[in-house]
Amino acid sequence: MNKIMSDKKIIALYTLPALILLLILIYVPIVLTGYYGLMDWDGIGPMTFIGLDNYKALISDHLFWNSAYHSLLLAIFSVLSLIIYLAISLVLASQIKGADVFRKIYLIPMLLSSVAIAQLWMRIYHPSNGVMNRFLTSIGIENPPLWLSDTSLVLFAIFVPILWQYAGFYIIIYYAALRNIPNELVEAARIDGATPFQIAYKIKLPLISGVIKVTIVLAVIGSLKYFDLIYVMTDGGPNGASEVMASYMYKLAFRTNDFGYGSAIGFFLLILILLVTYLIRKLTTSREDNVQY
Amino acid sequence: MKEKLSETSDLNVSSAKKLPPSPKVAQSSLKHKLSHSVLYLILIIVGVIQILPLVWLFLFSLKDNQEVFNLPPLALPSSPKWENYLNVWTEGNIGVYFLNSVIVTGAAVILTVLLASFVTFAITRMHWKLNKFVLGLFMVGLMIPVHSTLIPLFSFYLNIGLMDHPLAIILTYTAFNLPLTIMILLGFYYTLPRELEEAAIMDGCTVHRMFFQIILPMTAPVVATTAIINMIYNWNEFVFVNTFISSDKYKTLTVGIQNFIGQYSTDWGAIGATLVISILPILIVFVLLSNRIVEGITSGSVKG
Amino acid sequence: MKKKSLSIMTSLSLASLVVLSACGSENNTTTGTNTNNSGGTEENVTIEFMHLWPQGSSADHNRIVNQIIDEFETNHPHVTIELEVLENEQYKNKLQVISSSNQLPDVGMTWPAGFLEPYVNGELFAPLDTILDDGLRDEFVAGTVEAYEINGSAYALPLELNIAPVFYNKAIFEENGVEVPESYEEFIDVIDTLVDNGVTPIALGNRDRWTGSLWYMYLADRIGGSDALNSAIDRSGEFTDERLIDAADKIQEMVAHDAFVAGYNGLSDQEAKSEFMNNNAAMYLIGSWDLPNFTTNEEVPQDFRENVGFFKFPEVEGGDGDINSWVGGAGVGLFVAENSDVKEEAKEFVRYFIQEWGKHSVEDAGVIPGTQVNTDEVDLPDLFIDVLDELNNASNITLFADVQMSAGVAETHLNMIQSLFGNDVNPEEFAEAHEQALSEED
Repeated sequence: MNKIMSDKKIIALYTLPALILLLILIYVPIVLTGYYGLMDWDGIGPMTFIGLDNYKALISDHLFWNSAYHSLLLAIFSVLSLIIYLAISLVLASQIKGADVFRKIYLIPMLLSSVAIAQLWMRIYHPSNGVMNRFLTSIGIENPPLWLSDTSLVLFAIFVPILWQYAGFYIIIYYAALRNIPNELVEAARIDGATPFQIAYKIKLPLISGVIKVTIVLAVIGSLKYFDLIYVMTDGGPNGASEVMASYMYKLAFRTNDFGYGSAIGFFLLILILLVTYLIRKLTTSREDNVQY
Repeated sequence: MKEKLSETSDLNVSSAKKLPPSPKVAQSSLKHKLSHSVLYLILIIVGVIQILPLVWLFLFSLKDNQEVFNLPPLALPSSPKWENYLNVWTEGNIGVYFLNSVIVTGAAVILTVLLASFVTFAITRMHWKLNKFVLGLFMVGLMIPVHSTLIPLFSFYLNIGLMDHPLAIILTYTAFNLPLTIMILLGFYYTLPRELEEAAIMDGCTVHRMFFQIILPMTAPVVATTAIINMIYNWNEFVFVNTFISSDKYKTLTVGIQNFIGQYSTDWGAIGATLVISILPILIVFVLLSNRIVEGITSGSVKG
Repeated sequence: MKKKSLSIMTSLSLASLVVLSACGSENNTTTGTNTNNSGGTEENVTIEFMHLWPQGSSADHNRIVNQIIDEFETNHPHVTIELEVLENEQYKNKLQVISSSNQLPDVGMTWPAGFLEPYVNGELFAPLDTILDDGLRDEFVAGTVEAYEINGSAYALPLELNIAPVFYNKAIFEENGVEVPESYEEFIDVIDTLVDNGVTPIALGNRDRWTGSLWYMYLADRIGGSDALNSAIDRSGEFTDERLIDAADKIQEMVAHDAFVAGYNGLSDQEAKSEFMNNNAAMYLIGSWDLPNFTTNEEVPQDFRENVGFFKFPEVEGGDGDINSWVGGAGVGLFVAENSDVKEEAKEFVRYFIQEWGKHSVEDAGVIPGTQVNTDEVDLPDLFIDVLDELNNASNITLFADVQMSAGVAETHLNMIQSLFGNDVNPEEFAEAHEQALSEED
């Protein structure tokens, strides 16, 4: 058994194709990004080697730290919203009638592209015609919030569509995991008189804990390098109030001809995500865990 | 098999099974009904909210710019602008873009899911020293911001002569989605009972046969899940397409959307129509695929 | 069309057979020959051309471009033009990526001044003086080509020229009994009257930031004259100049008077435009590129179009500015790639394109070209003619600030504009931030 399952040739055959793609198309750019980060380069003309100057600039760049803080907030919110996604998934994966139809309907928004989602939410947040403010004025609120132009609100206003956009992604993963749980276990507990809540908490969640940990990591990584909706809806504004690390990097690299500095930020972002991921692993790995990710 | 699994759970259900059904169940049926209705009400409300974006998008595609910006999102346009669809079709090339989207998305999804399954299988089920390290390598692949890779990848494809070739897009999508797909598969592969393999090996199964005839079918629900996720990502992606593809004959549907974005003004109705046209096929495939996320692996398949 | 001697060029391009072309593995030089009208044989060549006017959003522009290309190919049977069209944002993005590998198309579009500079410094764009010296220079509106000049050489030639008038809704003005303001003080009065009557005075989409910059630029011009801002940008002056701080102060005064539509800092220019076009706002300051929407665009309700007028940005009492001084300038222009292996043909194409574009763009696409337009000869709506006449009578056109500046400084400027409008900074801080960004440049 063990001999068959440790056949070097088969292992190589199964891992190498993917590994080669990964090394060429992702690791080479990572290394090059690190290399460009040591340069003063506008992305157009010749480069000059400047060592760690970009990183020194980064340390004292309050615009960067501002965007890093926003990314961190997004990560925290994303992880918290996993609880909601999980609750929805538990309901959808239960034996209730029509769960199957509900599941399909619930996942529809995930099919929309970022362009569509951005347009939709801009219509919702519009200061005078928006769904939100029409509703608020109709119930008698005089000056409803200016969602996307109020620097103290904009970040949270934009988190809502981001979390909504990704709901389907996590629900579909949780759903598949929950459907993977052997029915006999749930049945036995039900016969034993356990409430649905007890079954969920005591049986289902522990059984899919591995998947939950994976989604926590995905949520954090995804948030830290998130870009799409922010770029379309607010472009990081007003005055950087909704800037995140990836959008800041993009601006530097592709708008202000500071490709070297942008690359340094990209590389720094990578290191940062690595550290955070390592931390999460440390925090969530329990004794009896054989699940490594 | 069933016994084995139940012992691993926190509740000692194996002993519970010997008990008669609890009388509590009958008494609480009224409360049960009530809470059920409330649950359904909530489910239906949320469901309606989730469907509205599709309705909105459809209405959006029938409006002109004035109406897009000045009517409430779910208001009907004064006269539906079906010509938006006509516009989109007569713009030419939508058919070509569409076909390219199907080819690129399909090829990348199949390649990604297959390669990722191979890797996950090797990492989780086979015994070798470097498996954790290789997994770590894939993990790091999740962390690179897309825009950092554009310039390096561009010069790479240029040098190997793949610039302006659909393969460049397919390979890029595959490489970028592998880490995520492996991550998702991982959690599921760990829960596959080892007994299956042991039994298969006893029966004299080769590793390949075991992978293709036992493991892949058993992971069908999660494979369908990752296929859906991959499909949506690839179908809606445009940064790579715009950067690596310059010939119209290789461009995809997302470029069809770009076509309506102008220097000083944008034709939103036409963009809406393009979005509607492009969401239909993935809606259909999504429904078909999501039917594959059916009952879990052990229920029914293993009778204890 | 003058025939240039192409034989030298073609022998050169033979040598470059090995060079990969700008976009992919296709070679610029295709084998095969073509007997042209003059009887000589010429090597077939391909000119790659990248532009940002997709058929879907800019149908008229796109049609003229294709028409010009067809004519050019007919006149030069040995030349094939290979097109790539991308929308604005994607275009900029791709231009940067392909530049990093020195893979520019033979002919493409660029913006002037700050955008162009890194490309010229990287020696990616070819100087086009040879085209201009043939008398083409005199066909341009004075001062437009200069926006693309660096160290005395022009690196691109303008295709569009704009000025930014304040458009206003005549019906709303009439209903509220207000007149076109002639001074800043009157302007504030107009704003107050409109606000009192519950009308939004000005549509502004400041999410895009350059829109707010227009307002600041005009106030700077009217208070300090056309040199105040320019000298601050070219470092012969300073942003902490009292007059420039006063301009920033006036922006905040306007904000305090509720001059701008609610939520302006989160609205895109397009959302703001639609406020104006739906009679929800009385005024809208924008470039003359929007004229077709206010005149000939059949999709826009006619009663709105008949109600649009424009006025020159009012003077500020005691200011040095001239009412005939405008904010605006050249938009996109055509460049030829320095490493193009069909440089002569590409230059020939650019020259032909500029001249043909000048003949058709105003009438067929509503685009004011960089070349002079004789308003007596074109058949255009009155509003359009009036703006063109103003353009011809302009005492000065100050190039958009964010275009004048290098990209890094422009980013600071635009962020500061948003903060100024949002009352997140005071005028002094606004000036200081500019000073800092500019001094770091040097």
